[in-house]
Amino acid sequence: MKEEIIVSGRANPNIDPVLNIWHWHIPAYLFLGGLAAGLLFFSALYFLQGKDNKYFTAVKVAPVIAPIAISLGLVFLILDLKHKLFFWQLLTTVRLESPMSWGAWTLTIVTPLSIIWVATYLKEIMPDADFKNKLLKKISAWFIVLKPDQTRPNWDWRYGWLRNFEQFSQKRRVGLAWALLVLAVILGVYTGILLSAFNARPLWNTSILGPLFLVSGLSTGAATIMLMTRDHEERKMFSKIDLLLIGIELFLIIHLFMGFLASTQVQIEAAQLFLGGEYTVPFWGFVVVLGLIFPAVMEILELRGFKVPVIIPAGLILIGGLIFRFIMVEAGQVTRYLY
Amino acid sequence: MKDRSKKYMNPYLAGFLLGVVLLAAFYFTGEGLGASGAMKRVDIAVVNTVAPEHAQNSSFYSKYIADGESPLRNRLVFMVIGVFFGGLLSGILAGRLKWKVEHSPKISSKTRLIMAGIGGVLFGVGAQFGRGCTSGAALSGMASLSTAGFLAMLTIFGTGYLFAFFFRKFWI
Repeated sequence: MKEEIIVSGRANPNIDPVLNIWHWHIPAYLFLGGLAAGLLFFSALYFLQGKDNKYFTAVKVAPVIAPIAISLGLVFLILDLKHKLFFWQLLTTVRLESPMSWGAWTLTIVTPLSIIWVATYLKEIMPDADFKNKLLKKISAWFIVLKPDQTRPNWDWRYGWLRNFEQFSQKRRVGLAWALLVLAVILGVYTGILLSAFNARPLWNTSILGPLFLVSGLSTGAATIMLMTRDHEERKMFSKIDLLLIGIELFLIIHLFMGFLASTQVQIEAAQLFLGGEYTVPFWGFVVVLGLIFPAVMEILELRGFKVPVIIPAGLILIGGLIFRFIMVEAGQVTRYLY
Repeated sequence: MKDRSKKYMNPYLAGFLLGVVLLAAFYFTGEGLGASGAMKRVDIAVVNTVAPEHAQNSSFYSKYIADGESPLRNRLVFMVIGVFFGGLLSGILAGRLKWKVEHSPKISSKTRLIMAGIGGVLFGVGAQFGRGCTSGAALSGMASLSTAGFLAMLTIFGTGYLFAFFFRKFWI
């Protein structure tokens, strides 16, 4: 007979607290935030280098996605809240020791700045505002009026103060770019630090997550630029940048696990989830191989002159980045200190 | 027609390499290859998600979900994902990666896709009756010198040969 002596109620379900309260909203937001950070970083960087015409898409077109991505991400964040109407209370306090406070303030500054940054280029990237779509026509009519003559751009701002503000901002692009460059790095790092601030979650509690999420965000940004550009030179350049970023990302992932394995038992167990445990196949298969190594091989082949449709490596990098965040958020909530 | 010899690998060499892959599969996993198994498991996963009760009561589906693990957690599923991306890589290396439907000039792309779809469904159903497809039953079976493997190979290609005449209009 196999005897079983119950010495503790711990084995009963739900006795140990289970904290699995972050669902799809958070990883989706982390992905969008990282993507926006990447796009704004490259836009500001190449503007400051004076390459705004050489890398036209990266500097002027691609950042259009940034405010959209951030706004969508913020909607996800609010949906995740239990008391949705209290979100503004984050902005009633500044706490330097809280990454969430850093994030709330960074987003509060980055969102309007990114909209202004995009708006200063709007006449260049959208010279034709005569939309066929009725809804688009209606919404755009709130801000702009179509010019009667045939000059391009065929539209102007509806109000004088918008025109003045455009000129005011265009003169201060250098300052804007510096602000965006710094804020983009903070935004990118913050998406990782948000997780690593949880010292009760061994998988998250590592300072490598900050740079890792930043690099991954930059990589998804570069992939988006590769997708959007029609200029061959620009695509090649961002392909090279992306290769470098993938290299750094792999290096950081290896160090992440080296750090875990050299640490305490809870960290070792957290790493085991990825080294034989539940998340091994999704992480190494879909994130590392299909999301990093395979697109890198394709980009190398393309730089060597093989014809590769850009959607394949870029799409894989974007999907890999998304899966990476989902796995990190999911797996992090599984790891804990309790025994 | 352009020079195809450079675009495609020598079929004898490719066949030899496939054999090496099969040998490697036996060596590393202890089992052979199988393509229809992956499709079957996707089907089971879909049925199990949409109608879990039906899946549990059916003698066919329930075998694959009894242990509580996802039916997609299987080496064959990952093999097919690998086949897809390996094919992609091979297409890039040979410089023939293009979005197109390969068909004879006498039929339209639509006909080709519909007929290939019907053929695929029939083959998938047949593979379940025959307990395996070309790779799972014939190739892996013959490699282990099983009589069933040889029979599967003969019947798959034999019937294909016999019926090709009647359905050739769908293809050429």
